[in-house]
Amino acid sequence: MKRPPLLARWILRQAAGPGYGKAMVGDLDEEFHDHALRERTLFGSRMWYRVQVIKSLGPTLLQRARRAREDHHTRKTGDGTMQAFLHDLRYTLRGVRKNPAFASLVVLTLALGIGANTIIYSVVDGLILNPYPFPDADRLIAVGTEYPRLGTDLTFIEHISPPEYMDVRDQTRALENVVAWDMGNRQVSFGDVSENLFTGFWWGDAFETIHVPAFMGRGMTLEETIRGDRVAVLSHRIWETRFGADPSMVGSTIIMNGNPYTVVGIMPPRTILYGMDLWIPMGVGPEAIPRERRQWQVMARIRDGFSMEEVNTELEGISRRVEQEYGAEMEEYEGWRMRALTWTEANVRTFRLAAFILMGAVGFVLLLVCSNVASLVLARSAGRRREMAVRAALGAGRGRLVRQLLTESVTLAVLGGALGVGIAYFGTQAVADITSQQPFLAGTVELSTRVLLFSAIVSVSAGILFGLVPAVQNSGSDIQGTLKTEGAGTTSGVRRLHLQRVFVVVEVALALVLLVGGGLLVNTVINLNSADTGFRPADVVSMRLTLPWEEYDGPAIGAFFQELEEQIAAIPGVQAVGRGAQFPPISFSWSRVAAEGMEVRDEGQLPMTMTTLASPGYFSALGIPLERGRGFTDLDVEGSPLVSVINEAAVDLLFRGREPIGSRVRVGAGEDDPWFEVVGVVGNTINQGIDQPTAPELFANHGQVPEWSNQMFLLVRTAVEPLTIIPAVREVVRAMDPDQPIYRVQTVSDVLVQSTAPRRIAAGVLSVFAAFALTLAAVGIFGVVSFAVGERTREIGLRVALGAEGGQVRSLMVRQAMAPVVLGAALGLMGAVALGRVMTGLLFGVSGTDPITLAAVVALFGCVALFASYLPAQRASRLDPVQALRNQ
Amino acid sequence: MSKGTFLGEFEQVVLLAVQRLQGQGYGMSIRREIEKRTERGVSIGAIYATLERLERKGYLTSWEGDSTPVRGGRSRRHFQLRPEGGDALRRSRGMLDRMWDGVEIAGSSKAR
Repeated sequence: MKRPPLLARWILRQAAGPGYGKAMVGDLDEEFHDHALRERTLFGSRMWYRVQVIKSLGPTLLQRARRAREDHHTRKTGDGTMQAFLHDLRYTLRGVRKNPAFASLVVLTLALGIGANTIIYSVVDGLILNPYPFPDADRLIAVGTEYPRLGTDLTFIEHISPPEYMDVRDQTRALENVVAWDMGNRQVSFGDVSENLFTGFWWGDAFETIHVPAFMGRGMTLEETIRGDRVAVLSHRIWETRFGADPSMVGSTIIMNGNPYTVVGIMPPRTILYGMDLWIPMGVGPEAIPRERRQWQVMARIRDGFSMEEVNTELEGISRRVEQEYGAEMEEYEGWRMRALTWTEANVRTFRLAAFILMGAVGFVLLLVCSNVASLVLARSAGRRREMAVRAALGAGRGRLVRQLLTESVTLAVLGGALGVGIAYFGTQAVADITSQQPFLAGTVELSTRVLLFSAIVSVSAGILFGLVPAVQNSGSDIQGTLKTEGAGTTSGVRRLHLQRVFVVVEVALALVLLVGGGLLVNTVINLNSADTGFRPADVVSMRLTLPWEEYDGPAIGAFFQELEEQIAAIPGVQAVGRGAQFPPISFSWSRVAAEGMEVRDEGQLPMTMTTLASPGYFSALGIPLERGRGFTDLDVEGSPLVSVINEAAVDLLFRGREPIGSRVRVGAGEDDPWFEVVGVVGNTINQGIDQPTAPELFANHGQVPEWSNQMFLLVRTAVEPLTIIPAVREVVRAMDPDQPIYRVQTVSDVLVQSTAPRRIAAGVLSVFAAFALTLAAVGIFGVVSFAVGERTREIGLRVALGAEGGQVRSLMVRQAMAPVVLGAALGLMGAVALGRVMTGLLFGVSGTDPITLAAVVALFGCVALFASYLPAQRASRLDPVQALRNQ
Repeated sequence: MSKGTFLGEFEQVVLLAVQRLQGQGYGMSIRREIEKRTERGVSIGAIYATLERLERKGYLTSWEGDSTPVRGGRSRRHFQLRPEGGDALRRSRGMLDRMWDGVEIAGSSKAR
């Protein structure tokens, strides 16, 4: 049976007190059960329960107070629990005023721990758990494909063709509102200026599928999108920035590539669906496009009464039918499968590992904080033993004392939590600034109600966690002994010391795990930075330019780009300029390739290579070395024999070490596809990403086949700061065609850095956590040794009086302090090995159990631990025996 | 009570929900009835606080009902209107009717 959140239930039960509390909790459990059956996700139902509890606390407590007051007037019997709570609270606050140093230390440590947790949770919640503002998000799915024959895993971006979309749309029973779209750019004019907008070309009304209504107006109908009516939906952002949020915008027209389009709707204010700024109809029916053009995306809703499993069973059936029908002519269909994931899952799965490792790490930090604070509370309670004993002697039961001590710790934790949320407020804003610039990151990072709820629960749990052990320990002291001796040297002091050592073990273990995790990721980033890319990314800037097919045919595209390259080359500071359809690590264009003399039994066996359209200047602009033969020249023109350059990996794949130059390769699986003569070989680059093996790559000269692509990256190597030449480049482009803007302007180094962003962020954050953890552990060790010195002043004095040297005392104290450290380190190493295994997917060039990292962390830790224990031990060794013995 | 013999708005809503449920009313069903009819989220805590207050005023009576496993053995508490509760509801409605009598408010009501 599904269990409601126990802590929340307990809190409500306590708040309600006698009366109808029991019935209320029963009601809530009953509805929780219904809710869980209806919602399918336990997480959501548990959240609902917690929200109910929180909303109920106010009225319940108020009614209880009212009841208590009325009863007080009528029967003169107080409501014990509530009054005791208020009493404890007042007592706590008085304690805070009396000992502000202790309280602020505890509150501050907790604030850092809870603040860090709040920030990380807000990121995980906003980007991973609930990134999309779509209602019933768990019924919204994306259809992905996997092609075992092409060696591709499940993909959800630019992966499906229009006929395949029709297969799904026409044959499904379990899905409804199946829509598909392609993404690209469209030029929209706003008065005299024009802007290239990130555009979706649709079949169907996306608003119907995501269950979010248009902010104003409506979406496009399926018929409109197939017929290609000139209608458009604008993003809220463009509507606001370009049209001053003019409410009469719906129904008026915008000019796109010279044609008027009627705006029928405005999208809601939040970024939805990859931050597209413009939706327009696809314009042709899906049946008009060939099956192998797989650059669309498909999303849909699960129809009521169907489950995700049924959707996937159905998709598998559709895939099989397609395989049977077309498998003979299209080999990639062999074993292909369409598979649905929830929209959220499909879009966040690549970030998930990094996110959950950070979540785990920050949880560890909080445990460490709790352990540290518990240790502090314990040390302080040494001075409160007498107070507790007096209260116990005056008749306070053990439960009453525990409750008071817990009230104290929870109050401190809530104060810490409040401060932590304050810290997190700034932290999340900083994170949000970064993430909002990433168009493919959906969702917003903010202190939402859910995040605040999380922080509240974390704070209260932390208070109970760090308060419970000291509370139980303290309340059970031996009253008589304490009152008689004032505690020094009694058994309770020894027990307390034992407990503190346990805390040190825990702290050391946790800190070590974090340090190893941070160390492995820092190693990874160093490896990524120093990895041989095979080209020279520094001082190169990339930008994209798209020429509309409506205005440029093949030859015009070639001529435009060639002229553009010549003009850019003349800009002062430019060393080399080239263009390419892709450049490392961007790798989306692949083809089947056949080499002359290759034995191929059937076309489906043909190997795949990346196929990159490039201009003669491409290799020098990127600094890719030519190994043999020649590169492209301007003499390779349309009509002259087609030539190709391939990389070393392609030589291995296609020619198995034979000399490739002079041989011919065919790009494409069909008999009619063109043959290219290999004229040169270039070095391998990290063309699929720094952490991926080099893919075989074949380059064709864009000047010879300009009709293959109207979208190219311009790559400019400069002798000056690369971005400073952009205005001059813009000017050149504007002079040639004022309607065509350059976009996606980025240095190639930045593109490389961004391709590994999740790891870099994880490494940075984890390093901060690890440093914090190390500090906390050091403070913990320092605390326990100081406390031991204080407890054993008399013994040390005796030893010194009997002739022990300062050095002997020091080493005794340090040795004893090291025992829990060594135990903790051993446990921590075990944890670190387990963590290393989990993290493997995030690491690069370093194994999860890298001995050097482990040794370095242990050595660092050893030094810190020795230092932290040496300071108080030094103090012990300088004890004046006469003073020490007299004091007792 | 400061509101004299007239009921507050939420008190009226709760009493009416109890009456609508004809003796089948217990915490959760009352909450659902109110949410369904008013389209407003109401917490169970607010429901019980009001139920208890109304019972103390003598407008409601309650008794322990049956229990099911999903409730963790906690019995339901059923509520029913007492005649005093009906009188109070009628009084409140009469007061409102008298206040509304002959009053015209200009403008159309906004659709939600």
